[in-house]
This record gives sequence, C-alpha cells and structure tokens, in this order.
Amino acid sequence: MIELEKVDKFFGRRCAVAELSLRVPRGEIFGLLGHNGAGKSTTIGMMLGQVWPSRGRVRVGGHDITMHRTRALQKVGAIFETPVFYDYLSGWRNLEIFSHYTAPTSPQRIREVIEWVGLTGREKSKVKTYSHGMRTRLALAQALLPQPELLILDEPGDGLDPEGIHDMRETVRRLHREFGMTILFSSHLLNEVEQLCTRICVLHQGQKVFEGALAEATQTRNWVRLNTGDFNAAVQRLQQNKLITGSSEGKFITLADGVGSERVVKILVEAGLPVFEIAREERTLESFYLKLMQDNAAAPLPLPPKN
Amino acid sequence: MFLFQLRNELWKLFGKKRTYIGFLIFVLGQTLIVMLFRFAAGPGRQMTRLLELNGFSAQEYISTLTVATFMLFPIAYLLLPLFVSLVGGDFVAKEAEDGTLRMILARPVTRLRLLGVKWAAGAVFALFLSLALGVTGLTLAALGFHWGGLFVANPGEPFSVFGPTAGWHHYVAAHLMLSFKAVTIMSLAFMFSCFNVKPATATILALSFVFVNSILQNIPYFSDFTPWFLTYHLDLWRQMFTQPVPWWKIFQSLSLLAGFNLTFFVTGATAFFLRDIKT
Repeated sequence: MIELEKVDKFFGRRCAVAELSLRVPRGEIFGLLGHNGAGKSTTIGMMLGQVWPSRGRVRVGGHDITMHRTRALQKVGAIFETPVFYDYLSGWRNLEIFSHYTAPTSPQRIREVIEWVGLTGREKSKVKTYSHGMRTRLALAQALLPQPELLILDEPGDGLDPEGIHDMRETVRRLHREFGMTILFSSHLLNEVEQLCTRICVLHQGQKVFEGALAEATQTRNWVRLNTGDFNAAVQRLQQNKLITGSSEGKFITLADGVGSERVVKILVEAGLPVFEIAREERTLESFYLKLMQDNAAAPLPLPPKN
Repeated sequence: MFLFQLRNELWKLFGKKRTYIGFLIFVLGQTLIVMLFRFAAGPGRQMTRLLELNGFSAQEYISTLTVATFMLFPIAYLLLPLFVSLVGGDFVAKEAEDGTLRMILARPVTRLRLLGVKWAAGAVFALFLSLALGVTGLTLAALGFHWGGLFVANPGEPFSVFGPTAGWHHYVAAHLMLSFKAVTIMSLAFMFSCFNVKPATATILALSFVFVNSILQNIPYFSDFTPWFLTYHLDLWRQMFTQPVPWWKIFQSLSLLAGFNLTFFVTGATAFFLRDIKT
C-alpha cells in the first residue's frame, strides 16, 4: 500500500530522514514509532506529498506521490495530531469543505459518516463549541468521507483523555475489522501501538532501526532470567549439558528447544549453584523500544548531498 | 468541482467575523465623510467656491454622486489597500499557520488547483468589495444630498463635471476599474502569503510594496518613470472621471495589471510548489 525506497529528507543541512526504505502491506495496522524529531511526521508528510523527498521514491497505492499525487491520494484519509478546523463554521460545513477537495460528496454520505463517528445532533453547531474528543471524531469523519482504503493517523491520541484514547483504539479496530482498511498509525503511545499494530517500524534520528512484525519485536526466543550465585559458572554447566543455546547481559539464558526451567534448576542445584530466581523473560514493546534507542544512541547522521 | 471548491473558499471568507468588521469600518468611514460634508462648513464651502468660480451651480453639483465620489478617494488610497492586503495575506499563510492547509493537502488536490481556487475567491471578494463600497457610498450620500450632476476635483488633474446620467455611468465605471486595483493588491498579498511567512508579514510586505511604489512615483526625480510604477496603473479608476476618458491609457493599464497579476500568481505558485508543508 505504501512503499518508501531509500528516501532522504534534508531541511537545509539537517537530515530529518535518512535512507528510509519501508513497506506497509495492504490490510495491516502498521505502527510508526520514534521519539520527538525522529522523522515520523516528515515521513508521513512525504507519504502525503506535503514534504518533498530530497532523494528516493515514495509510492502510495502503486502511484508515485511526487509525479501522480492526486491519483495516489484518491483513496487516502488522514488525521493529524491536533485536529484543526474552521472553528467559525459548523461541523457539517467543514466536512463539505474538506470532502470537496477529493470529489463532490452527497449530503447522504456526510450524514452516514457523521452517524458512524457519533456526532449526530451536533453537526450543525460551530466547531468552536466542540470538545477535543468531538474534534477528533470530526477529524475522523473528514478522513472517512472519501471511503479510503488507507488511513494515516499521525499521533491521533495526543491530548485525549484515557476514555478518548480507548475510543480511538476501538475505532481503529472497528475500521480495520469492518472496512478492511490499511492503517498507518504513528504514535508515542507504545501501549496503544502494542495493542493495535500488526507490524511496526521504529525510527531513530531519521533512520530506521527496526521494521517487522510486532510479534518479532516482543518475541523473547525462550529467554529466561536467571539469578544465581555465579552466573558464568552456571552458564558453563548448562552449556555442557546442552540445555541452553546462549546467554546475555549477565542475567539471561536462552533455553534449547524442549527444555523446561525445572531441568535447569535441577542441574544447577546438583552442581551446588544456588538459584535465587528463574523466570521466563516477557519483553514488552516498551523494553524493546528502549533497548533499540539505547543501542542506536550514537548513530551518526548523513550529510546532505552535494549539488 | 472548481465551482464547489470556489464556493467553499467563499464560505470560509464570508464566514469570518473579521470580513464584516472590516466592511463595517469602511461604512463608518463613509458615514463620517458624509457627515463632515453635511454638517461641517469646510469641505462644502471649498467645493462651492470652486464650482462658482468656474461658472457652475453649486446647488446642482453638490449632490449624491459628488459626495459619493469625494469619499471614494480616501477609501481607495487607504482603506481598500489595507483591507484587501489583509484578506490576500491570509489566504495561504493563515491556513498554513492554523494547520488547515495540512488537512487540505492530505487530499488529492494539486497545489496549483488549490491556489487557483483561492485566488479566484480573492478576486470575487475584491470585486464584491469594490461594488459594495460604491453602493454603500451612494446610499449614505443619498441620505444627506439630492440627486444631481457629478463634480470631481481629481487631484493633479483638471476638475470634471458631468450631468446626472453621465455622472452615474462614470461612477459605476470607476468602481469597476477600482475592482482591478483591489484584485491586484490582493494578488500581491496573496503572492507573499504563498511563501513560508506569517499572515501579518504577507500583509505588511504587500502594503509596503504599494506605499513605497506610491511614494517613489510622486517624487519629482522619478516623474519620467511614472508609467513604470505599479501604483500608476492602480489609479486607472481615476481616469474614469477625466474628460474625455483616455481609453487607450486605461487599456494599457488594464493589460499591465493583468500582467502584474499573472506574475504575482506564478511567483506565489512557484514558491508554494517548492515548499514543504509541515506543522
């Protein structure tokens, strides 16, 4: 659905995105993660033809966004972090204005979408009287009007209360379930990403540091946390018995296939090594993310191309 | 589609309170001029003396048309450039500042199309404003003065007198020409608005351009170069009050203003096209 091929973006000499290649497959809920200034919004800007890539190619729905922007965005809806509207106009009028940039939209369709997002009864009120949650729903309505196949959500949870975040999460699930939409979800909220996304891409200082299935990121490959009197001696003993395939960080061991923790304990106790704690390591997206950030903290950024 | 989008732009423009506040200031200005003319001795007395010295009846020529035209001068030189610059400067820069431009550009609309629609809305607004000013000016003047001939003391030119019917035609034509001035200043502000600047900056740049042009044009040193100044051509509405009307000069100014408008649009569109739209 979206393909980025070795995309760079420089603002003057500052590199915002470097050599980014990315593929968002059709039908996925794809999470774009990264710290502030990691290049998420710039990447989304390039996907929507709002920011011109300095190098590389961006394709949306099979169309090159730079060359065929109108065709590429025909079936795309987008919501940005702070939903902004013409506050002095009604919600209905705002929807008419935005939808007419895609195609003429019938009042029936507008009514349907307003009902879907739960704004019925408030559509004729001026947007300045809307709460933040209502604005978010209106933003969703304007994104849904062109019946998109791809929905881009750039930090949609920003400023929402826990109830609003929950509603947003449920809405994203519903959109995916009912319409089979491909959803690109950019967020700081790792918990939301973990609950929603099927694939993720992590950006760090404009560079991709991970892309893959969420399961791949949180999978711990039989990792077990072991707290013993002498970790190195324990590892040596376990390797001799072919119970583990590896160890790391002075506290983790990777169990060999079919090996249970009770066998590990038995061997260590028999060898006179006390076991204080042994537990399966459950890695959250947060710990995975923080580890990635730590590992890539000193990654150098490329310089702009010389013309 | 273009008409739908144009209608939407006009909704945005006429949905703002500021548009009406600006217009209200025009009407207040016009009311003040009519009241001064009606109740203060100065302006009426001067005009009476000028008319009578030249053998015209003040009774006949100090009329609705004369007062409405008299009030046109300060409005055309001060308020109109200010107001259309404000509107033109807002078109792109305000939307970029507010973030609605990013929402629009998430849609399958080309930047050129977007600018075309916005410029067209600005041109419709400028035309509407010029004609509305003509109507309110005439209405307010009619409240205090009788219908009669038109006397125009055009600064720097010999004065002109017209009968009521001819005067009415010249008054309407002058307002039509005034709309070209309004459109051009709007286009100038619109061009600046397309750059990565704040709306106020676009307005100030446009006004500065117009006022600096006007000042330079009036410096005697540049008297041989006056046709090179934009403001010289913006004054084409005044030509409608000269006798006879210099049509060749008007067509020349119109074609140059069309060229200026095109240049402003193309420059603005180029800057806008090259820009990255970010929050």
